[in-house]
Amino acid sequence: MSKPRVAIFDFACCEGCQLQIVNLEAEIVDLLSIIEPVQWREGMSDHSDDYDIAIIEGSITRPEDEERIRKIREKAKILVALGACATIGGVNKLKNHGPLEDMQKTVYSKDFSLPHLATMQTKSVADVVKVDVYIHGCPIDKKEFTYIIRCLGAGKTPNIPDYPVCVECKKAGNICRYEYNEICLGPVIRAGCGAKCPSNGFWCFGCRGFVDDPNVNAARDVMEKYGKTMKDLEEKLMLFNT
Amino acid sequence: MGTKKVSQKDFEKWVEKLIGLQKVFGVQSKDDKYEFGALLKAENLRLDYDITILPPKKYFLPSTEQLFSFGESGFNSSVDGEPFILFGVHPYDFVAIRQLDVLFSMKNNDVYYQTRRNAATIIVCDVENISENAFSGFLGFDHVEKGFDLLVTKTGSDYLVESGSDKGKKLLSLMENAVDAQAADISKRSEKWKKNRELLKKQLLKANVNELPAALGKAYDHKIWNEKAEKCFSCGSCNLVCPTCYCFDVQDDFGWDLKSGERTRSWDGCMIENFATVAGDHNFRKNKSDRYRHRYYRKGKYVPEKIGEIACVGCGRCISACVARIANPVEIFNAVAEA
Amino acid sequence: MASGATNIYLPEYATITAAKQMTETEMYFSFKLDSGKPLGHMPGQFAEVSLPGIGEAPISISSSPGSNGTFEMVIRKIGNVTNKIHTMKQGEKIGIRGPFGTTFPVETAMKGKDIVFICAGLGIVPLRSAIQYVMENRKNYGKVTILSGTRTPSQRLFIDELKKWAAIKDVTVLETVDIAEDGWTGNVGVITTLFSKVEIDPAKTIALIVGPPVMYKFAILELRKYNMKHQDIYVSLERHMKCGVGKCGHCQINNLYCCQDGPVFSYADIENIREAI
Repeated sequence: MSKPRVAIFDFACCEGCQLQIVNLEAEIVDLLSIIEPVQWREGMSDHSDDYDIAIIEGSITRPEDEERIRKIREKAKILVALGACATIGGVNKLKNHGPLEDMQKTVYSKDFSLPHLATMQTKSVADVVKVDVYIHGCPIDKKEFTYIIRCLGAGKTPNIPDYPVCVECKKAGNICRYEYNEICLGPVIRAGCGAKCPSNGFWCFGCRGFVDDPNVNAARDVMEKYGKTMKDLEEKLMLFNT
Repeated sequence: MGTKKVSQKDFEKWVEKLIGLQKVFGVQSKDDKYEFGALLKAENLRLDYDITILPPKKYFLPSTEQLFSFGESGFNSSVDGEPFILFGVHPYDFVAIRQLDVLFSMKNNDVYYQTRRNAATIIVCDVENISENAFSGFLGFDHVEKGFDLLVTKTGSDYLVESGSDKGKKLLSLMENAVDAQAADISKRSEKWKKNRELLKKQLLKANVNELPAALGKAYDHKIWNEKAEKCFSCGSCNLVCPTCYCFDVQDDFGWDLKSGERTRSWDGCMIENFATVAGDHNFRKNKSDRYRHRYYRKGKYVPEKIGEIACVGCGRCISACVARIANPVEIFNAVAEA
Repeated sequence: MASGATNIYLPEYATITAAKQMTETEMYFSFKLDSGKPLGHMPGQFAEVSLPGIGEAPISISSSPGSNGTFEMVIRKIGNVTNKIHTMKQGEKIGIRGPFGTTFPVETAMKGKDIVFICAGLGIVPLRSAIQYVMENRKNYGKVTILSGTRTPSQRLFIDELKKWAAIKDVTVLETVDIAEDGWTGNVGVITTLFSKVEIDPAKTIALIVGPPVMYKFAILELRKYNMKHQDIYVSLERHMKCGVGKCGHCQINNLYCCQDGPVFSYADIENIREAI
């Protein structure tokens, strides 16, 4: 079986998820044993538009992005959303919280209306085209990334958790962040990260997005019980716009 | 099999000796809480703990473990059978291990569990401080009188150490300056057990435990399942911190050659949304309330009908672990007993 | 691993001895254990099929034990393991654990009785093991009625065998489809529409039902119209038998472990089990 040809594209993002791939270091050689990269701006100079798998990093924030992602979708047999910006819109969605023009002025002041600075409400990749595989997180988890690539190489649908971060947090033997009177998003956020943030002394920031069926009503109740408000919770959720 | 009395200082010396002898896992502090971990120094051992974050079952059923690897040489399984000492297991947690012993050998023997279990020497210790949600006193799991390898009880400034097996006896023989416990010492311990039985009743269980399977049998349509489950995150926290939960998931992963690889199992929980989903995405327990009820039926009816003992040991970990505060078995058991 | 200890989670190798496409989504496979030993199953049991690296899936055994050391399965393409096995060919290897679970009562309750097989959808796949067994030991049983229903004619399985069975003395085969396609001249309607053509003597009949979850209560309702005793009705239930050995908890139906207490149950044993059907 010939190796699948893989192209990696970046949209609006910090390119930190691609950096995680570069950070695989020695394992990149293993990675290359099952895929053949044909286009990867951050990792190689060759360039081909003939690919099987398109890996998309970043969110869709400009009209021309929409056009570009649609073209990629047409060519790719499998389209992979890489990292929070691609999977859920991520931090780029912060700008959806107010009138677009205000946001533009805040960022670009008097130049805001220059044509090359045109922008629109942020969308996740799935808001525009069909996504086949999600690699969640900000940044992505290297272990999960390599697992998913191996699955793709073997023609297997990867097992991506549809349960909350609490599962992995409990397995790690952590003390619940609510015991420190902090709002942690763990109970409604998709696991798969190994509860990295709670294991290192932070609450869950929500970078992997909601589980399929988050219990928002329960969250309301929990805020009350811990002397917090829904506004406190919403502020926490705003960062990744889950 | 004989009970010894030893001073605090000689007790610590003995612990130090055990650490030199075998791998020892003991209770230590973690922030303002406690956990079982590799014990490197006797002084780190905290037998005055109230409860550990996770129960000691992780030494027999690790949160994730390899079932086997596969490759050109076929399927290869191995499990570490190196002897170890598990130091400071509270009686209720020991009861849970005893239950898992039965369940993992029932009909089919689980060789991974069994190998680790056989490798362990379990040192039970009586409870010194009471955790906020304990109710083992209502269940008779506040102390144990048999089954352990060693039982440690603090009486005043001394320790009483009883051996309950040959393994325990061997370790106990290493203790220096130990004297035979006298009737007065033993009665001090009995006093402590009596006191602990009353203290370990922080959550007021009114239901009669023996009648619980029958009461649950009649409570299938009780409104409490829905009421509680509405607030459930399906996060499985109650399952994962439970000393008697033992359900697991199985997953495969390849190596980079896409030929070799491994199969692992890891803790799972019946409260998690897709626990009962089959291929084709049909979920046989789609409703939260069905999953919620299932958990309490396992604890109070299904497993007890198999092993003859309630499968909740009253540790109260689930009560503390549930952010939504809906996971109190005492509330459930009281409600169904009243119905 | 301690020597001599059997490991219930460790598969053994089997080789695909035949593979063929049956419908768009179903493939037929025949396997032989590499040890040379027969699988040792009885009708109604299942085995865990392992494709190392992909995973493991519980699959019912579709052949009677008398198939000269091989055993057969019909596998629908629906998940990782089943998708992958659809790409595999004769000579390739898989892993097998089992057989597991309870059996149809071919050697007990069914003996000397008239038998009604009610096969809906993929139901014929596990029931075929019992049908074959009954045909191989024809004199041990009375009249045989086989009701078989699929959604469409193109989803029919074992068409030749159904024809063969129908030709045997005192065997009646009735087929139906939910939706007719071009060329179908047979009965159209759900499987319960076939009951009007069936005679059942409740005193000497055993009924076996296998089909999709929604179908059981309707089929049982029909059988109860004949005053059949609940203990004479057998069903085989589907759950996620992940470990197959009563440990992992995924296949529980209330207090029952489908992998050990089932998959075959008498209706009398599960009629009060709320999660069963």
